[in-house]
Amino acid sequence: MESKFTEVYQNAPAEGKETECEKVSKLLDLVIDGEATSEDQQYFNHHIEECIPCFESHQKQKLLKGLVSGHLKRVIVPISLAHLIKAKIQETL
Amino acid sequence: MSEQSGKQLSKEEKDARFEAELLPVLDPLYNFAYRLTLDEDDANDLVQETYLKAYRFFDYFEQGTNAKAWLFRILKNSFINEFRKKSKQPAKVDYSEVEGYYNSEDVEGESGVATTTDMRTESVQDLIGDEVASALNALPVDFRTVIILCDLEGFTYEEMAKILDIPIGTVRSRLHRARNSLKEKLEKYAKTMGYNS
Repeated sequence: MESKFTEVYQNAPAEGKETECEKVSKLLDLVIDGEATSEDQQYFNHHIEECIPCFESHQKQKLLKGLVSGHLKRVIVPISLAHLIKAKIQETL
Repeated sequence: MSEQSGKQLSKEEKDARFEAELLPVLDPLYNFAYRLTLDEDDANDLVQETYLKAYRFFDYFEQGTNAKAWLFRILKNSFINEFRKKSKQPAKVDYSEVEGYYNSEDVEGESGVATTTDMRTESVQDLIGDEVASALNALPVDFRTVIILCDLEGFTYEEMAKILDIPIGTVRSRLHRARNSLKEKLEKYAKTMGYNS
């Protein structure tokens, strides 16, 4: 029960593109985390310009990271804790 | 005055330097401790212990180097040595206990879902925040740790490798698996809320 889109991808220059997508998906986390070399970054950017599934994966992964970095609630440090630590430090020789 | 080391500081100097360099890390450190222990009291104890250890070893800390990574590493080791033994079962998060920390205004009902029709942006943010926290807390602690360190605290892979005492390759693979796990949990939630993934 494959959609039209899947057929299109299968008709694409098969072997080259498949290996490229695999290569690119290995770079995904590196790119998201700013750990990719500029060469790999450029390669990645170029690929997602012409590959919808990889582009979508990138969007999804960015979203996932954003949920944590932007939406995760931070707990508030109890005010007393800083004082307590300072006090203990001062006591310690 | 001690003759042991040329750079022996007076206690006052040491304390001042300690406070200046290490106390500013308190907020992220406490958050990390809380994410690991899922318990305020334990987080409190863990952070105190970490700072005391850091103080004892402060002479070994090179001034101006990565204080945050250094403290996180000490805390992580303390957690493994002392706290992980304590809690054999996955900790259950009692949201009523921590609700005071969160800025949720329109959250009503037992499930914490806003039942007001006025879904202001703020309420939606709170919902999302609660769900992300929930999903994250449900992950195994190793997965939770790498996601916190990378996505929340912004450590580089190299820093994470040092904090966790594992090779960078392991950092990457663990992060990859952790993210897949988190994605699964969040997708489940999205489906139950009726969102299309």
